[in-house]
Amino acid sequence: MSGNENISPRQFMILVVFFTMGSAILIVPSSLALYAKQDAWLAAILGVGTGFLFVWLYISVAKTSQSTLMELNEKLLGRWLGKAVSLLFIFPIFVGAVGVLFHVGNFMTSQMMPDTPIQSFYIIFTAIVVMGVRLGMEALARASEILFPWFLFLYVILVIFLFPQIKFEYIQPVMEAGIKPTTSAAMYFLSIVTLPLVVLLTIFPAHVNRLEDGQRSFFTGYTIGGLIMIIIITMSILVLGPDLTTRNQYPTFAMAKKIDVGHFFQRVEAIMAFIWLISLYFKLALYFYATVVTVSRIFNLKDYRPLVLPLGMILVSLSLIQYPNSVYEQTSNIAFWVPFMVTAGMLYPLLLLFLSGLKRVRRSYNKR
Amino acid sequence: MLKVLGILGVSAAMVLIEGPALLKKGLKKEMFAFSILLLIGAGMSIGNALQLNVPNPLAGLVVLFKPFSDFIFRLLK
Repeated sequence: MSGNENISPRQFMILVVFFTMGSAILIVPSSLALYAKQDAWLAAILGVGTGFLFVWLYISVAKTSQSTLMELNEKLLGRWLGKAVSLLFIFPIFVGAVGVLFHVGNFMTSQMMPDTPIQSFYIIFTAIVVMGVRLGMEALARASEILFPWFLFLYVILVIFLFPQIKFEYIQPVMEAGIKPTTSAAMYFLSIVTLPLVVLLTIFPAHVNRLEDGQRSFFTGYTIGGLIMIIIITMSILVLGPDLTTRNQYPTFAMAKKIDVGHFFQRVEAIMAFIWLISLYFKLALYFYATVVTVSRIFNLKDYRPLVLPLGMILVSLSLIQYPNSVYEQTSNIAFWVPFMVTAGMLYPLLLLFLSGLKRVRRSYNKR
Repeated sequence: MLKVLGILGVSAAMVLIEGPALLKKGLKKEMFAFSILLLIGAGMSIGNALQLNVPNPLAGLVVLFKPFSDFIFRLLK
């Protein structure tokens, strides 16, 4: 049974870090700078700060459920409506998974290997993810523990060697356009970085050893991930300037190309790609694991493993269908991503909390 | 045609990997879910390989959520 897999709070924290900054570290700076110009770093701080409210919301949902989101659905909404809502919840998870896979393929074909067809990246990356998910949550968590120090080490190197390139003129004047552009940028940031964390509720209280420590590691993981995001966004504004940050599709990658220490230590942007691929791997694996577990819980399957291979096939073909090119990806994401994620990541958990509160009130009323 | 054959080959390999264990344990429900998902996956892949017009689920989501998105961003302009 898949429910027997348990990971330690520390491993869960690392997974939260990877999930928070996963795809965001390379794509978010550009969109933030588009809305907020030189104030993108303020928007990032605002976004991470507001995000703590959402993390708190998810933790309280986890506390009321004591198990997975799917079981809470069935408990609160009844068997069939609960199953229907769980089935709807697959949408945000799978759309997120497809988005991550698209970012891998698009990044590799546009920046590193332009002559290779995008399908080959999709298939190879999905093959590794399928392998990891078939081995189970515990194996994934241990792999993340091994790779995390490497990831931090490379990240710190990247940030330190960028210090000589900083120009403080780029962030001046601060708050030139007022608060509104910064707010909309912060909202976009929330919808990409924080709100997808709702997906972790499919594994959070059920697969993590101790609930109390699990809550703390959720907070710490989010804090670390948020700090990593704030630093990288601030650096990309300080090094590239708001204009170039907006124009580059992957500004952090362009920024890494600027590293030059004594004309010797230069062109290390592959480091950035390495960091990004590690975090994307865990983000996609978690999304994929959440999808598979949700499907198997809805149909009361004893084992989720048989679903992994065919769902991997669907993932590959769907990412070719869903995002035929990067222009379509950007325009459609601007058109629907924010309200879509607000529905899945804010309104839906709030509804669950409201219902469980209602149930508790009714129960105590009946007792009297 | 080669692409379709390749997809069918991959699907056959998946059946070979998962099938024997499922048969031995006699997990009927799992077998059913596996075959349905495999059918959907193979169908989508073949449709995509033959460049048929497979409907894009994202288009529906865009139609559904675009008014809200426009509203939010107009509010903050």
